Amino acid sequence: MKRKLFLITAALPFVLTDVVAQSSCNTALSITAGLHTVDAVDGPEVPMPVCAPNGTGASAGKWYVYTPADDYTVRVSTDLSQNTGKDTRVHIYTGVCGSLVCHAGDDDSGNGYLSLIDFAVTQGVTYYIAFDNKWSSSGFDFMLEETPFVDPPVYPVTFTENYFPTITGDYKIAIADMNGDYLDDVVTVSANQVQIHYQQISGAYTNTTYPVSITYLPSWSMAIGDIDKNGFNDLVLGAGSGVTFLYANATGTGFTEVTGSQYVFSQRTNFVDINNDGHLDAFVCHDVDPNVYYLNDGTGLLTFHQGGLGDHDEGGNYGSVWVDYDNDGDADLFIAKCRGGSSTAKYNELHRNDGNGVFTNVSTAANMYDPVQTWSSAWNDYDNDGYMDALIGASSFTDGSHKLMRNNGDGTFTDITSGSGWETNTQSSIEYVTFDFDNDGYADVMGGNQTISFNNGDLTFTPMAYNFPVGSVGDMNNDGFLDVQNGSRIYMNDGNTNNWLKIHLKGIASNMNGIGARVELYSGGMKQIRDVRSGEGFRHMHSLNVHFGVGTNTTIDSVLVHWPSGTIDNVLTPDVNQSVLVIEGAHPLGLLEVDGKKVELYPNPANEQLSIKNLNTEDVALIKIVDVQGREIMTLNQPAATLNISSIQSGMYILQIDLKNGKRYSDSFIKK
Amino acid sequence: MVCSQSKFIMVRTGLFIAAVATSVIFYTACKKVEPIEIPDPTPSTGVAVPLKVPPYQKLSTYRFFQGDIKNQQPAEGVLEYEPISSLFTDYALKKRFLWMPDGKSATYVADNDILDFPVGTALIKNFYYDHVMPGDVTKILETRVMIKRATGWIFAEYIWNEEQTEAYLDMNGGYVNITWNRNGQELSTNYRIPSETECKVCHKLNDVPIPIGVKPQNMNKNFNYPDGTKNQLQKMIEMGYLAGSLPPNINTVVNYSDATQPLELRLRSYLDINCAHCHSAGKHCDYRPIRLGFSETVLKTNMGLCVEPGEMIDPAMNYIISPSNINRSVMHFRLNATNESVRMPLLGRTLVHQEGVQLLEDWINSIEFCE
Repeated sequence: MKRKLFLITAALPFVLTDVVAQSSCNTALSITAGLHTVDAVDGPEVPMPVCAPNGTGASAGKWYVYTPADDYTVRVSTDLSQNTGKDTRVHIYTGVCGSLVCHAGDDDSGNGYLSLIDFAVTQGVTYYIAFDNKWSSSGFDFMLEETPFVDPPVYPVTFTENYFPTITGDYKIAIADMNGDYLDDVVTVSANQVQIHYQQISGAYTNTTYPVSITYLPSWSMAIGDIDKNGFNDLVLGAGSGVTFLYANATGTGFTEVTGSQYVFSQRTNFVDINNDGHLDAFVCHDVDPNVYYLNDGTGLLTFHQGGLGDHDEGGNYGSVWVDYDNDGDADLFIAKCRGGSSTAKYNELHRNDGNGVFTNVSTAANMYDPVQTWSSAWNDYDNDGYMDALIGASSFTDGSHKLMRNNGDGTFTDITSGSGWETNTQSSIEYVTFDFDNDGYADVMGGNQTISFNNGDLTFTPMAYNFPVGSVGDMNNDGFLDVQNGSRIYMNDGNTNNWLKIHLKGIASNMNGIGARVELYSGGMKQIRDVRSGEGFRHMHSLNVHFGVGTNTTIDSVLVHWPSGTIDNVLTPDVNQSVLVIEGAHPLGLLEVDGKKVELYPNPANEQLSIKNLNTEDVALIKIVDVQGREIMTLNQPAATLNISSIQSGMYILQIDLKNGKRYSDSFIKK
Repeated sequence: MVCSQSKFIMVRTGLFIAAVATSVIFYTACKKVEPIEIPDPTPSTGVAVPLKVPPYQKLSTYRFFQGDIKNQQPAEGVLEYEPISSLFTDYALKKRFLWMPDGKSATYVADNDILDFPVGTALIKNFYYDHVMPGDVTKILETRVMIKRATGWIFAEYIWNEEQTEAYLDMNGGYVNITWNRNGQELSTNYRIPSETECKVCHKLNDVPIPIGVKPQNMNKNFNYPDGTKNQLQKMIEMGYLAGSLPPNINTVVNYSDATQPLELRLRSYLDINCAHCHSAGKHCDYRPIRLGFSETVLKTNMGLCVEPGEMIDPAMNYIISPSNINRSVMHFRLNATNESVRMPLLGRTLVHQEGVQLLEDWINSIEFCE
C-alpha cells in the first residue's frame, strides 16, 4: 500500500497510477512464484540492456520484480498452452533501475516463439523480470517456478556485448591489424569506401574512412595480407562474379583497386605464398569452376591462374584453408566442398604442397575424400601432438555429419568422431573456425548456430551456447583473450585466470605477416602449434596475430617460428601474458656454421663497424642489411668481413648473408 | 582433352588508371568454347541447328527468325511458347521458341518433368526490355539457345549488338547497363548475361545439362497464335512436335500474377519456376531441406514452413517460413535481399521482385500455425 501511495503522489501530474504500474523498472510489479498475466506489453520503458537473443528493436516493456526467500533455480516461462502461437521475449536483471545488469534472458526456447529460461537466484537479491515487444505487444501469461538450487552450467569464458554504432559498412566481416601496431583493427567494406576502426593502446578505437571505388564487394568473403610488402595490409574481396584487390598505399592512408576481368564465383578467399617464392599470393575458391589463384611477381603485380589446385569441372569449392598437415614446412591446401545431387563436386579435397608450386591431390590416400556437405572446416592440433587435425563441419546432414579427423602423423587421418561429442551435435553451420577461446591450451571450435565447442583436452568437445553467431575473431581489447566481432557488435571475452602468449610476426625474407609460418610453443611439457593463416572458416577474416592459451602454466620454455623462407626463430623463455614481436631472423635457432665454426656478429650493439666472425668471404655471394620494415639499407656485392655501418641510423637491423651454395644466414644487430 | 587458350588480363583500375602495366597470362583449364569460324554445313534455306560442329558464331545463321531478326518473328517450323508462370530476371521480357527437325517429336514423361525431346531440338529464349532509355526503344540483350545433341543438351549464348542486327556467340558472360521505364517507373540494373558455367548452375540434374521450363505442368495453357488461340500442348501435337497421348488431366501450375487464383497455388507456382531448379533432388542445392517443385509443395514443410534453415543468417529468423511472421522467415529475407551472398535465387537477378515478395508475404500472413 505504501508503495502505491507513493506512486500516486509521484505520478499525479502525468497519468493515472494503475496505468503506470509495471510500465517501467521503477514501477515494476512485485511478484512471487506462480502464474501471472501480462495484459499487453505497452509500458514506455524498453528493457535495456538486451539480455535475450536477437538484438534491439523493441519499443515497449512490461516490468516485474522478484526477491527470492531462498536460493533457488528459477524458471520463467511463457511456454504455456494458453499462449500457443504467441511470441514473447524476456530479460532478467540484477542491479538497480537505471543501471541494470543482465542476469539471464530468452527469446524462443519454448515451443514456437515462446520463452523459457532457467536461472539461479540468491536469497534476498532483487531480480527484475522484463518482457519486451520485440515481436509482439499482445498479452500473455507467464509462470515463475522455484525449484531447488542447481549449480548453473559453468562457462569456460563469458562474453560481454559491446555495441559500436560507428562500425558501419555493407560488409563487416574482417579483423586484422592495418597500421603495423599489431593491435587488431576492424575493417569494413562498402561500394565506395573502406572503413577502419584502429584499436588504440588505450582500448579505444579511432575511426577512419578511405574512399575507393570498388568493383567487386566481398559478398562471399574477404582476406587480408600485404601483397606488395609495403608495410600496410591489402585486401582481397571475393564476389559472386569476380575478385577485387585493394592495395594500401605506402602510408596506409588510402587504397587502390585492382580488379581482374575474369569471371569468378568466389567463395573463400586466402592470402598465402603458394609457390614459396617469398611473395604473397592469393587463392580464391570457385563455386562452379576450377579454383583460381593469383601469383605475385614480387612487386605486388598479380597474374591470374586457373588449374592445378582443385580442378573439379563443377567446382563445389567453398572453404579453402591453408594448413601444413604434414609438417614439412609448407602450407598444404584443404578444400571443404559442397554440391547437391550425385555430383562428385561435393567430395572434400586435400592437396599436398610438394614445394615450388607443385601440388598433389592426396584426398583419398589421406582418408579425407568425403562427401559431407561442408562450407568450411576447422583445422588445429586438437590433441597437442604436433600435427594438425581437422573438424569437418557439416552445413547439412544429407551426405554425412560432422567428422573429427585425427592426423596420424604419417599423411593419413582417422575418423575419431564417435565419442568426441561431435556425433551428437545436431547444429549445422556454414562457418567453423578454431581458436583457444578460454586460454586453456586446447583449441576450441566456434560453429553451429551460436555455439563454441570447448576442447576438453582429450579429443572430446563440449558445446556451449552463446548469444552470438560466428564472426571475426581477434583480440579487440588487447587483453590476451579472443573476442568476436559480429556486425557492429563486439563480444568481448570476459577472460578467466588462464595465462596466454601472443606472437606478432614481422617477415623479412618471407611475407610481411608471416602467413604460412608454423609457430610452436613449449610450456610445462606441452607443445602447441599454430599456422598463420589469412582466411579460414567461410566468410570472415580473423586476426593475423598468433594466440596461445597456456592454462595455468606460468612459464614458457620457448617459442619456435618456422618461417616460410625456412628461417627458424627461437624465442627463449618469454614471459606469459604478453605479446612478443618476432622479426624474421632476429632470434636465430642455430647459427650458421662454416667449417665447424659458428658465424657471429660483433660487437653487438655496434657503433661504427660490425664484424662477422668466422666467415670466409669467398663463400659469400651477397651481404645485405635490412631494417625491421624489410627495407634494404645496404648491399655489399663484394663481401667483406667488416662492415662500416656509421652511416645508418640507430635501431635494430637484420644482417643477411647469402652464400654461394644457396644457404642463407641472418642475424639481428643493434646500431647504437 | 585438348585445351584452347584464351587471354586473361588483370587491369588496374580505380585511382590510378593505367598507372601500372597490365600483364597477360594464359588460361589453361579446359572449360570455355573458343570461337572458331566454321563453314556453314547447312542447307541454304530453313532452320539449321549444328549437331556436331560448335554452335554458330552468329544467331542469324540458325535462321530461327524470318525478316529482320530483331522483330522476333519465328520462321517456318519455329513455335513460340510461353510457360504459365515465368522466372523473374530483373523484369526482363522474354520470348521463347522451340524447333525440332522434320519428322521428329517429343514425348510426354510426366506432368512435372521436361518433355523428352528428340536429338536436334533447339530451345530459344530472347531476353529483352521495352521502353529502354534513352530513346524509349525495345532492346534485345541476349538469346539463350539449348540444343539437344546425341550426347545431351548443350548451351549456346548469344549477345546482341547495339544495332540489334545480330547476336554473337559468347560463352564467357558479361554485363549490360540498362535503364528502362516500367509502368511509369524508371528502373536500372547492371544486367548479367550468364557464362556457360552459370547456365549450368540452374540447368542441370546431377551435373547433366537439362532445360527447365518445358514441362506439361507449365505448358498446359492457351496461347494466341497468328492463326488463332490454342492450347500449347495441343498445338505441339498438331505440328507433330509432340507424339503419343497426354493424360486427360495435367496437374498444372497457375499464373502467379493472376490474382483470381488461390493464393497458395500462386505461390507454389512461383516457387516452382523461380526456385525448384536448385531446390529439388539432384539439383544444385538439394542438400538444403526445402523442395520447391510444384508437385512437392503440396507438403508445406517442403516449402519450409516451420523448418529450421541449414544456414543461420540471423538467429531471429529461426524458420525458413514462420507463420504470420515475415520478419522471422528466412525465405522472405532472401527474396527481399540484393546482397548476392544471401539473396535468392542465387543467380539471375540483381533487383528485388516486388510482386513476388508481396505474394510470399501474403501467403505467410495467411498461415496461422505450424502444422
